[in-house]
Amino acid sequence: MAETHPKFDVAVVTPEGDAFRGEAEMLVVPGAAGDIGVLARHAPLVATLRAGSTRVYLDREADNVVELATGPGFFKVELDRAIALVDDAVDVKEVDDARAQEQLEAAKAELERIDAGESTADRWQLEQRIKHAENQLTVSGRG
Amino acid sequence: MASVQDLKRRTRSVRNTSKITKALELVASARLRRAQSRIEAMRPYAETMRELIAGVGRSASSLRGLPLLQQRDEVGTVGIVVLTGDRGLAGPFNGQVLRRAFALERELRGEGKQVRFVVIGKKGRTTLTFRGYETAADYVGFADRPAYADAQAIAHGIAELYTDGTLDRVVLIYNAFVSALTQRVTEQELLPISADILETDEEERRDDAMRGDFIFEPEPEEILARLLPVYLETQIYRALLESAASFQGAQMTAMRNASKNAGELIDTLTLQMNRARQAEITQEILEVVAGAEALT
Repeated sequence: MAETHPKFDVAVVTPEGDAFRGEAEMLVVPGAAGDIGVLARHAPLVATLRAGSTRVYLDREADNVVELATGPGFFKVELDRAIALVDDAVDVKEVDDARAQEQLEAAKAELERIDAGESTADRWQLEQRIKHAENQLTVSGRG
Repeated sequence: MASVQDLKRRTRSVRNTSKITKALELVASARLRRAQSRIEAMRPYAETMRELIAGVGRSASSLRGLPLLQQRDEVGTVGIVVLTGDRGLAGPFNGQVLRRAFALERELRGEGKQVRFVVIGKKGRTTLTFRGYETAADYVGFADRPAYADAQAIAHGIAELYTDGTLDRVVLIYNAFVSALTQRVTEQELLPISADILETDEEERRDDAMRGDFIFEPEPEEILARLLPVYLETQIYRALLESAASFQGAQMTAMRNASKNAGELIDTLTLQMNRARQAEITQEILEVVAGAEALT
């Protein structure tokens, strides 16, 4: 008999709107220091996220997973609610190559400006944005 | 007295213009709806961000070493960020922002401070260049449809001017969106970030106690150092979205008025044209009658 997994509220929020909002059994986010897996009734947590893949397990038995390519951001769990705040999130099934390419070029151009000493923007943030764009490109290349 | 031909030509030209203004009005109202929904879409992000900052700020033991929070004792140079549109034909939209910016500049210079402009939008850049100002930075080409990445670029630019000491205080002036008919010119302090955002009220503190302690990964100070620039980005993104919606609202109103004026003008011109034509006919009849009378 399959045991029933308790569900909890999960939201992946970007400035352009919710990328995911609903109930899930498990959530895995790319924490700055390593992936963080969260189940229902997790202790309160605040973390920073690097660019990577966020996986929302709607139903682990049926292998029903929503996978999102997410940019850098923040993550918070409280009162059985997990919220990932990221600057961009794209469902891996709906990656837009042209858009990812654009993001990549914009971030790279800014990184070059840092290297040239013309900018002091947060290097880590930019590297994460580049990684996010590259992530999307790899995923779409595979698909 | 203008001839019938002249009046006809003018009526036709006004009618063509009114077709354009009507079309623009429709386009603006469609875009306004889209711009409004984008403001709605970012609200959950902004709210969670604010909660997060307040929560992390409470737990951080020291707020030192966070340049974006530091108030400078001596404010020498103030940066004014002027947020205008890329296009005109929107009534007072661009003008009122610029007027407020110049008023603030006069005031600050009166207090003996230096002022540098950071301009967003083609219209603002044109005006400032025309008046001979040298801007600290300018950003153009996305005022109609700002993306979050645009806000990031601007936030980086401004934060950099602040941390390297070029600017000691940054104020943003933009058209806040009130409704489709009203835009309010708003001055907002961007930097230093007000420490108020880290403060919490009684109720939140009680909530905190109920939830128990948070696990922070990494340390709260480190998280806060990352959060503040992102907070600045969201502030700017919201202003960009509001300004874009305001622009469409202002354009819609301006074009509706223009269409109405064109309609009135067409009525007047048509009346004049009919009168002129009637006068011509009367004249011709008089001539014929007079000619006939002369023969008898």
